[in-house]
Amino acid sequence: MQVVRKGRFALAAIAVLFTTSLSLTGTYGQETAQMDFESVGRGWPLAADANDYEVTGATFRGGFFQPGVERTFLGGAMGGEAPEGVEPLERDLFTSDDFYADRELWSDPRYFRCNSSAAIEDLWGANATGNQIMGDNPPATAPWGKCENDYPVEAIVSPYPFETAQEHYEALLEETRSRGGPTQHTYATVPGEWTGIYAHPGRTNEYWYKMRYNQMPTILSLLTEEYQTYYVQEAYHHGNTNAPQWQSQYCWPEGFTRRFHEFAVWEHYFTVTPNMVQIVAGVARNFITNIHIGREFNTEGVVPRLGEDVPRWYGETIGFWDGDALITWTSNIQGWKNHAAPEHSSKMQTIEIYTPNHDDAGNFTGLNHETIFYDPEVWVKPVRIVRNLQKQNDYDDPDATPYVFVECIQSIFPIDGRATPVSHGQVIEYEIPDMYGRPWAHYWDQYFEQDMEKPEEEDIFSFE
Amino acid sequence: MKFINKLHKTIGASLAVAALIGTPVQAHHSFAMYDMQNVRVFTGVVTRVDPAPNHLAIFFAPMNEERKNVLRDENGEPIIWSVEMGGSAQMARQGVSVNSFPQGTVFSVGMHALRNGENAGSREGGMFKCPERTPPAPGMHCDSVEGSIQIGTEPLAEATLD
Repeated sequence: MQVVRKGRFALAAIAVLFTTSLSLTGTYGQETAQMDFESVGRGWPLAADANDYEVTGATFRGGFFQPGVERTFLGGAMGGEAPEGVEPLERDLFTSDDFYADRELWSDPRYFRCNSSAAIEDLWGANATGNQIMGDNPPATAPWGKCENDYPVEAIVSPYPFETAQEHYEALLEETRSRGGPTQHTYATVPGEWTGIYAHPGRTNEYWYKMRYNQMPTILSLLTEEYQTYYVQEAYHHGNTNAPQWQSQYCWPEGFTRRFHEFAVWEHYFTVTPNMVQIVAGVARNFITNIHIGREFNTEGVVPRLGEDVPRWYGETIGFWDGDALITWTSNIQGWKNHAAPEHSSKMQTIEIYTPNHDDAGNFTGLNHETIFYDPEVWVKPVRIVRNLQKQNDYDDPDATPYVFVECIQSIFPIDGRATPVSHGQVIEYEIPDMYGRPWAHYWDQYFEQDMEKPEEEDIFSFE
Repeated sequence: MKFINKLHKTIGASLAVAALIGTPVQAHHSFAMYDMQNVRVFTGVVTRVDPAPNHLAIFFAPMNEERKNVLRDENGEPIIWSVEMGGSAQMARQGVSVNSFPQGTVFSVGMHALRNGENAGSREGGMFKCPERTPPAPGMHCDSVEGSIQIGTEPLAEATLD
């Protein structure tokens, strides 16, 4: 129980998260929306339920982070040894001095020692689960995940026939019109029971985007070449150089896809009115989704938008009601990163559908949240995330915790390319980051990739 | 009297900013760091547009006199300047945005540079965007290039300093 002795109370919150996230006992199955008709573009069944799958590892289960659960290794093998029956590669993510040169190996799970991207992130202790898992000569002695574990691609890609979010939204709108909608709610008819607080979806759902269920090459097979490189680049600096560059550690913007990350948003606070639905969530930053009911996008620019031609960190969202289902389209999103998950571009758009869940007695229990991502610069096919948001409180419940608005005050700075907590009065050398030029990658480039053969950059300065 | 003169200059500077960005009372920082008495005019290559809601900024590498490349430091790296202007939504209405000024865009702008000599300034006067990958003739600016796009209604500012 060395982990217990080394554990710190400051990590208690993370411990609580992992109690559920690694237990593989998500409270809810991945049921899709409860519907009484077959839609053209929502509520289609999933090809596989993540609850039926085991994470790849390598990680630990139990111990300090899961009180009452025996501490056990979850993965293929430890100490850098390959699992029985698996022939290791001569060169992999943990022994390579230049991952760019290894591109032809990226399609082989063994290059990543069968670790998922979230497992790789954890190995050096990023989420406080990886203590001692790296062996006595890291990174060469990094452990192996289970090579046989993988969530199917068919359950990740969108099942719908649409190539763009606009096409998808318009088909759903047309379908709703054919059903007599869109529904024009008033304060008397709007589904007011939606208003309230919903449980932390990362704790109450298992889904592929936690990035714990897939082999790296499975995700890579769905990415464009450029974003494959970015995805492996981050994995390398998580698993090999141990130089994670997470946005929230520097109080940088979280970015749109962090809404779906396992840890970035906790409870969701919904406020429902006839012409505006607002969702507030967050931990290190505030995520505010304003769904403008009945508005239309200006589609004349590079991407559809509501306001001026200015990318918004969390996009702009329009929507309409089909009865008590809310169908939304988000666009004009600032491209950015997640971590242990692919980056997203400023071309990304989503279709998100909120459909009420009811128990057998007909009581409202929460919302099915189905999201389809359209980002042709990143994903070669649209992908889908299905989760269920469980309502836990009304705002006037005496035990409801009010939303805490977050002001992130930076205390961790990059020093020699590594995130380092600094104290007041301490003087450090600090380079101002180019916030719109993948600043995280700049640190990797400057401090850890000097001798690598990187893709050539376009020369924009010469007019010879 | 010196104080009053300075005050007048400061007010004048503020009014100049007001004319530029239209909403000085919404400025989120003082513009007193800029030398409002003088104007420098640059033609440069965009490296980044920061669409800050309060004051959009364009980062750029000033071009050399021949307009064949950019000015560089002793290590051969491009020298980077920035020019700030109105809020990102306001500037988008004028045609200045991340999408309309991608990396590599050649443009010309006048600015009140920082008093301390660092490489930044606040925009003064009109702005001109050259046609794609078409810099002006040596020593000239984008307002001289056929097919250039004018931003705002004012002409390119006249330089009082090199």
